[in-house]
Amino acid sequence: MTDTTVTTLVAATGLEPAPEPVSGSRAPRRRARTRAPKEPRRKITWDRIKAQRVLLLMAVPLLMYQILFKYVPVYGWAIAFQDYKPGRGSIWNQEWVGFENFVDLFTGVNGERFRRVVINTVGQSVLTLVVGTLGAIVLALLLNEVKNAPFKRVMQNITYMPHFLSWVIVASLASVALSLPSSGGFINQALLSVGLVQEPVLFLTEPNHFWGIVAGTSLWKELGWNTILYLAAITAIDPSLYEAAEVDGAGRYRKMFHITLPGIRPTIVVLLIINAGWILSTNFELPYFLGNGLISERAETIDVFVLRYGYQLGNYDLAVVAGIFKTLVAIILVGSANWAAKRLNQETLV
Amino acid sequence: MSAGLVGCTSDGAPEEDPKDAVIPAGDLADQSGTLTPSNPTTLTTWITSAQQAPAPDNKITKLLEENLGVTLKYEIVTPDAVDQKIGVMLAGGEYPDLIGTTDLKMRLLEGGALLRLDDMLETGDYPNLATHVEDDIKKMSYSGEEVDPGLYIFPNYNRFYGEVTGGTYYGPAFWIQKRVLEDAGWPDLSNMTLDRYFELIASYKAKNPQTDGVPTVGFEVLASTGREWGMTNPPALLAGSPNNGGVVVDDDDHAEIYADKDIAKDFYQVLNEQYDAGLVDRESFTLTFDQYTAKLATGAVLGMHDQGWNFQTATDSLRSAGKDEYTYVPLMPVYDGAEPWYADRPVMNTNQGFGISVSSKQPEKAMKFLDLMLSEPWQKVLSWGVEGEDYQVGEDGMFTRTEEQRANARDLTWRASNRLEALLDVLPKHNGQFSDGNAYSPDDQPAEFFATLTDYDRGVMEQYGKKTWLEFMNPQPENPKYYPAWNITLSDEANEVNQQLTDAGVQNLPKIIAGDPADFEASWKAYVDTIKKIDVEVYEDAINAGIQDRLENW
Repeated sequence: MTDTTVTTLVAATGLEPAPEPVSGSRAPRRRARTRAPKEPRRKITWDRIKAQRVLLLMAVPLLMYQILFKYVPVYGWAIAFQDYKPGRGSIWNQEWVGFENFVDLFTGVNGERFRRVVINTVGQSVLTLVVGTLGAIVLALLLNEVKNAPFKRVMQNITYMPHFLSWVIVASLASVALSLPSSGGFINQALLSVGLVQEPVLFLTEPNHFWGIVAGTSLWKELGWNTILYLAAITAIDPSLYEAAEVDGAGRYRKMFHITLPGIRPTIVVLLIINAGWILSTNFELPYFLGNGLISERAETIDVFVLRYGYQLGNYDLAVVAGIFKTLVAIILVGSANWAAKRLNQETLV
Repeated sequence: MSAGLVGCTSDGAPEEDPKDAVIPAGDLADQSGTLTPSNPTTLTTWITSAQQAPAPDNKITKLLEENLGVTLKYEIVTPDAVDQKIGVMLAGGEYPDLIGTTDLKMRLLEGGALLRLDDMLETGDYPNLATHVEDDIKKMSYSGEEVDPGLYIFPNYNRFYGEVTGGTYYGPAFWIQKRVLEDAGWPDLSNMTLDRYFELIASYKAKNPQTDGVPTVGFEVLASTGREWGMTNPPALLAGSPNNGGVVVDDDDHAEIYADKDIAKDFYQVLNEQYDAGLVDRESFTLTFDQYTAKLATGAVLGMHDQGWNFQTATDSLRSAGKDEYTYVPLMPVYDGAEPWYADRPVMNTNQGFGISVSSKQPEKAMKFLDLMLSEPWQKVLSWGVEGEDYQVGEDGMFTRTEEQRANARDLTWRASNRLEALLDVLPKHNGQFSDGNAYSPDDQPAEFFATLTDYDRGVMEQYGKKTWLEFMNPQPENPKYYPAWNITLSDEANEVNQQLTDAGVQNLPKIIAGDPADFEASWKAYVDTIKKIDVEVYEDAINAGIQDRLENW
C-alpha cells in the first residue's frame, strides 16, 4: 500500500522522467508511466528541493512511520541468538547462544517439520495468488462485456461483499460448506445430487485437498474486490482503440484478447508483484482455523508453526528464527516476481 | 477457619483511607476498610475458563459493588485459546490486576508476570489466603527448576476443608448416554470392557439411527488441539493406570510414555474396527472444541471418552432442556486383568488458580479481594447464592433448596444473571465443608445432591443401587506421593519434545483410526517410526526427575 503511495508521490514530484512525446493520437495512456530506458538521472539540486519542500515535508510522516514500525523492531531479531526468557527484563539481558536456535530449527525432527511448513507456505501462497489473479482477470473481462448496467452493479456487489467478512467467519462458513450433508455441507450435497461422488467427501481430512481449499476460499472472499482494480484499469483504455478494431472487423473475443488484456497488462504485473509481497503475511488465518491434526502435513504454514512452537510453548527464540526465515522467503518471492517482470520487459516496482 | 474470620475483623490491617472508609454492615463487608463502596475499586481480571462472562444485571456483581465497592472487568479466555494468549501477554509485559489461569507450563510464573506472595501473606492482612496455602506451600511453590520457592498461585480446586464429600463425577471416563443403558435393560456395569461398551452403543444405534431428526452418532473422539488428550489418554486408563498424562508410572515410580506401546495399539485397533463399522463419528477429527460441545448438546452422541468437566456445558444445556436421558453415565472399561483406576483422589491444582500480576497498581486491594472471596460468607454467596433467595437454612443449620431453586440452578440463563461462574471457576475454594458442616456446594451436599436429581436420574440411580455418580466409579486408592505426573513443570526442551509427541499423535492417530482396517499395521508402524525419530528420552528423563524430586521434597 505504502509502496504504491510512494510511487505516486514520486511521479507527482516530477522525479520521474518526463513523459515521452506522444507519437500518435492512439498511443495508449499507460505509456505515460513507462520509464525511459537509458535516460540519465537528473541531479538533485538545492533549488529543486526548495521548490518541492511541501511535498517532501508531506513525505516525512510516512518515512517516520516506515522507520518506526518497519525498521526499528528489527532489533528484536537479537532474540534469535538468545535463550530468551521474558522474565529477565531487557532483551539485552539474556543468555546468548549463537546459532543454536537456527540449528535447532533446521535440523532433526523440527527441521523435517519446518521444511514441510515452508513448502506449505510457499505452495499455498503461490496457488492462492495465481488462482486469485486469474479469477479476478476473468471476472473483470466478463463484467466488462456486460452491457446491462444494473445487472453488472448487482454482480459486482455480490462478488465483493465477502471481502468485508473476517477470516474467522469465512473459515467457519468454509468448514460448514465442506462438512457432511447432515451438518449442512452443501458442497457434498451438490456433488452427491449430480452424481459426481458416491459418498460424501470429508474434504478437511484429506491432506491433498487442503491447498485447493485455501485457494478456493480466498478466491471466494477476495474475487470481487480484486476485480475492482482491473475494471478500473479497463475503463482507462482508450475507446478509440476498440472503434478502430471494430472498423478492422474484430469481434468480441478479438477485442478482449488484443486490446483489453494488453491494456491492463501493466496493472496485472504491478498487482502481482505487490501481492507477492504481502501474500505471505495473509496465510495464517485459514490454515489456523481450518487445519487439524489429520491434514497438518499440508496445512501448517510458517505462521501457524511460529504460533504453536514459539508463542504457545513460550519458545520465543525459535519463533523469531522462523519469523526471520519467513521474511527471507517473502523477499525472495517479491524479488523473483520483480525479476520475472523485468525479464518480460514490463513495468516493475523496484 | 474461625481464627481466620477473627483475623479479618482485627484492627491489624492498615487502612488506606481511614477518613473515607465507610464500612457497610453485614459479614460480607471488608472490616479492614480496604474495599468499601465509599472508596470504589475497579479490578481487571484475566480468567481462563470455558464459562461465559456474567450478564450485566448479575446479582452477585451488584453484591460486590454494594458491599465492597468492587467492580470487576473481565477478560475471559477459553482453555483452547489460552496458550497463545499467555504468550502474547508475556511478550507485551502488561497484565491485569488479577490473573486467573490454568497454565500447565507455568509460563506466567517463570516469565515474571506474577508477584511473590509470601511477603504479602506474612503481613497477616490476608488470613483466609494464608490458611488456604499454609499446609501445601512446599507443594505449591515447587516447580522443578525455574520457579523460586514462595512464588505460586492460589489453587482453585481441591484444597479441602473438613470432610471430602461429592456427588458428581468430573474425572475421566468412557461416558454413555442413559437412554442406551435404559434400552439395554440397565445392564451390569461392573467388569466393563471396550467390547461390551461398543456393543451397547452398536445395538442402540442400530435401533435408533436418528435422534431428534439428526443421525445418531455412536462414539465421538475429540482431537482438537489442546484437548487431544481425549484421544490420547485412554490407553493408560484402560491398562488400569491413573491419569498421569502422557506416561504410565510403574510400581518403582519410573515413568515411561505409552503412546507407542501395545496398550495404545490395542485401543486404536478397536477404534479402527469401530470406525469401519460406522460407530465412530466420521467428523471426529475435524471438530473444534466448540463444534464438539455443540454436537454433544444436541443429544445425538451416544458415547465418548472425556473428562467430566470438559463437556459440562453440554450436560448443562441438555439438563436445562429437560433431556435427562441424553446425559451421560461414566463407565470405566479396562483390559483383561486390569483394575480400573479412573477416579483418583482429588489432587490440588498447584498450577491453576489466581495470582496477582506484577503490573497491578493495587496489589493490596487485589489480594484483599481474593482474601475476602475466600471468607466463608462470600464462599457461601458464590457457591450457594443468597440465603432466602437461592437456598434455605434448616433448623439443623443445613442448607436446602426448593424445587424452584434447584430448577433455577440448572438454568443457564438464570445462572448468567445470578452466579459468577467464570470467576468462581478460578477462584480459590473451600472444597469440602464449611465450619458449620454444610458442604461447599449444593452438588457436594449429599442430601441436597440426591434431591437435585430429576426423577429420571433418581430412577437410574435406583436401578444400580447407587446414591451418587461418584459411586459408579472405582473406589479411590491413596494417590502416589508424586501424583499426578501431568502437572510436572518441564524445561523448554522437554516441552518441545512433549509437543512433538502430541503432534505425532494428532497427525497419525486419526489416520490409524479412520483408515482401512487392512492398513492398520502399516499406519501403526508409521506412527511408531515417527515417535522413534523424536527424542523421547528428554521428556521421560524430565518427568522422572520431576517424580524423584517430588518424592524427596513433598
